Amino acid sequence: MKYDKFFALAKEAGIEEAELYIGESYSLSFSLFHSEVDNYSSNKSMTILARGIVNGKFGTASCDSWSAAHAKFLVDSIVANAKVIENEDPAFIFEGSKKYKKINTYNKELEKVSIDEKMKKLFELEKAIKEGDKRVVEVGGVEYSEDAESVTILNSKGLKLTQKSNYFVYVGQAVAKEGKQTKSGYELFLDNDFSKFDVKKLAKEVVDNTVSQLGGEACESNTYKAVLSPDVVKSFLGFYIGNADAEDVQKKSSLFINKINQKVASRKITVEDKPLKRNVFSRWFDDEGVATYNKAIIKNGVLMTYLYNLTTASKDGVESTGNASRGGSKMGTSTFYLELKPGKKSQEELFKDVQDGVYITEVQGLHAGLNPQSGNFSLQSSGFLIKNGKKDRALDVVTVSGNLIDVFKDVLEVGNDQRVFPSGIACSSLLIKKIIVSGK
Amino acid sequence: MVSKKLAIDVLNAALETGADYAEIFYEDSRSYSLSIENGKVQTSSSNVMNGVGLRLLKENQTVYGYTNDLTRKGLLALAESLRSSFKGKRIITVTKLDMIRAKNRNPVKNSYENISREEKIALVKEGIEEIEKLKDPRIVRYIGSFADNHRFVAVFNSKGKWFKRDSEFGRLAYSIIAADQNGFETAFEGPGAQQDISYFRSVVNVREVAKKAAKTALLMLEAKECPSGKMPVVIGNGWGGVLFHEACGHPLEASAISRGLSCFNGKEGDYIASPLVSAVDDSTIPQGWGSIDIDDEGNLGTKRLLIKDGKLVNYMIDDFNGRRMNREGNGACRRQNYKYCPTSRMSNTYICNGKSTPEEIIAATKLGLYAVGFSGGSVDPTTGEFNFGCSEAYIIRDGKICEPVKGATLIGHGDEILKHIDMVGNDLALGQGMCGAASGSIRTNVGQPTLRISEITVGGRGGELK
Repeated sequence: MKYDKFFALAKEAGIEEAELYIGESYSLSFSLFHSEVDNYSSNKSMTILARGIVNGKFGTASCDSWSAAHAKFLVDSIVANAKVIENEDPAFIFEGSKKYKKINTYNKELEKVSIDEKMKKLFELEKAIKEGDKRVVEVGGVEYSEDAESVTILNSKGLKLTQKSNYFVYVGQAVAKEGKQTKSGYELFLDNDFSKFDVKKLAKEVVDNTVSQLGGEACESNTYKAVLSPDVVKSFLGFYIGNADAEDVQKKSSLFINKINQKVASRKITVEDKPLKRNVFSRWFDDEGVATYNKAIIKNGVLMTYLYNLTTASKDGVESTGNASRGGSKMGTSTFYLELKPGKKSQEELFKDVQDGVYITEVQGLHAGLNPQSGNFSLQSSGFLIKNGKKDRALDVVTVSGNLIDVFKDVLEVGNDQRVFPSGIACSSLLIKKIIVSGK
Repeated sequence: MVSKKLAIDVLNAALETGADYAEIFYEDSRSYSLSIENGKVQTSSSNVMNGVGLRLLKENQTVYGYTNDLTRKGLLALAESLRSSFKGKRIITVTKLDMIRAKNRNPVKNSYENISREEKIALVKEGIEEIEKLKDPRIVRYIGSFADNHRFVAVFNSKGKWFKRDSEFGRLAYSIIAADQNGFETAFEGPGAQQDISYFRSVVNVREVAKKAAKTALLMLEAKECPSGKMPVVIGNGWGGVLFHEACGHPLEASAISRGLSCFNGKEGDYIASPLVSAVDDSTIPQGWGSIDIDDEGNLGTKRLLIKDGKLVNYMIDDFNGRRMNREGNGACRRQNYKYCPTSRMSNTYICNGKSTPEEIIAATKLGLYAVGFSGGSVDPTTGEFNFGCSEAYIIRDGKICEPVKGATLIGHGDEILKHIDMVGNDLALGQGMCGAASGSIRTNVGQPTLRISEITVGGRGGELK
């Protein structure tokens, strides 16, 4: 077999146990500008992450193609890298879970849709955005892309797992002008079922996201009662749940230290990781080959579990939760499909509950303005005022500040307007007691 | 490596259906990284990347693809697949490839591949020692890391030119997490250069870098929340240049300008900044973090004056986007690696020195914010709306630097903010960063002297500035 050479060389070199994580992908993308195909790209690529145990320590190496020379490079590097490791973390190569709930996440139908058909929809999208509103002065670009990926884990304990998946994305971006003000907005659609794509719906969302921002001005700097859009909640939720990573807890750098079975959020908050839910994001084994399962991380505001891989689980004397995730050379954890349980009220009902406050629709610059460690954030934002229980004028260039822990403690209501985002997070609007807005 | 003969055959195969430009980008890149957590080596990892990217242009259209199959068969298959996007007749035949010779300002002298892992670990541990010497129990997690990259690139294009570029980079970093009963604070310091390990031995004081990171995290534990609202802000030199990078750098890239999608479109020759402001993008700084001797289209690295005494005079341009602008590329075409189609990007971008001293600027400020540490930012080039986060800041009262504050984010419009610069210092310095955009994540220097903005919106949790 193609990769036998690696395992044979590894054995010869004295590597006790070895593993290959092989990611292969085929991608296609094209975009239009002024009704012309301005970019077309089609690629096949590969990522190979190798690790091995020498004297109880992990050495790691990676490459992007395969040959005998690559196998030798990986083995030599694993040996040399393992030699300098000093931490005493237990190292595991996994023999496999007893049972896996296999899910097919590859939709063959997507291959059968012709490139012409995919292209035709893109032209339609561009036209629909352009014609969507008089104030749209430019279609910043429309793009179609698709990816077919496979993840394979092979190891010296005989484990062999493969999962294939695919998806496509349509993205549209518009620029709108009114007076001296220019605003840009975008929206995207992701799925692996081409028949679900609705050009008109996406075009309308792109246009609405753009023109609705016009005519805004900053509000007074103050603390406001607020509704956060699903898009904002998605950004916050990912960082917030990052605190459940067991390694951060063990290394005393998490906001969830000693919080198991304790109240960390409003009782309205239930957050689950659902890798086995059937959708584009399904994963039936994690990056160490452990079978995944659905679990509540926070239930009615109470923290139920940390997220473990094999190493951190062994340190705490528990089982891995099947959340191992590769981040370069390091094995960390992540969720696969994170779902905030929706509530019962519509967004309009949430506005009514607020009476006077703000509706925050977007936050920017998370990598700079949100500190995942402290949970503190101060972020460029856009949104609307809420007046007399209704959405009012747009807000131009303001910041919102607060702390993630406070945001989720301050939740009064969860909306029923669930949206699914490409990052594998599903969530709805939140009504929160307070957020600090800096404007005028 | 791809031979010249094979390159000619692949280019000609690619040009068969009427492309007006074809280019082969070959890359062989070797990287190593290590991390030391709480005093012990935690990870040590090696990587090789080896591939070819092929780009075809026809008028305003681009076709791009890449492969790891570097055999004749593999490369010709890629050319045939990509050329099928065009349906015309050949207009160019490549018969020979002449080498472009560029001045070598960034020579690879002593490749990091020749330095042992143990030596790199020992270097990082010097700084770790300084953090441990502080014996402060509030430091709960401290990570030292080192990463190096030796990158060889060869480009062959249908203008009958070819060139190679050999470069190496090293970056050392310390990341600190400190905690007390009120919560966590973090700090990061990460100097890097396009130089060999001697840079970290003779130019950088590794011990001071680590100590600085640790002390900043501890200081921020004691800091109050930053006030919010509009106020005068003095922005410190070096990394403070992230302001210009986000607010103006990105909107001045041809990728935005050529499509009419920049807030600076139609403003060439206009005053977009205070007359105190001149700014450049200079890819010729010897061994600079963002320097390139020759760009991905074979245009030589240059020092581009972007703003002269407040007036907009130039952009970062690549040949392809230059087509829509009727302008030639000026050496700004870059990409992360062979998996990315290249476009116009920044290199070492900074605001030039002015005449004030930093002390004069502080002394002239009655009440405001002094921002000296930064965590990055972002911009929408079309609207010019930008933000950047401050990781270390102080309140200025009556011309003196007073209490530290945390959690400040500065926001504004790129086409407005430079007009509000009312004092420019004489202490220009550069800071090393990674910049992410359409052609991937690339190394760039940001930079500026200390300067003052008369009024900018500051977001924080500390209420009104009093």
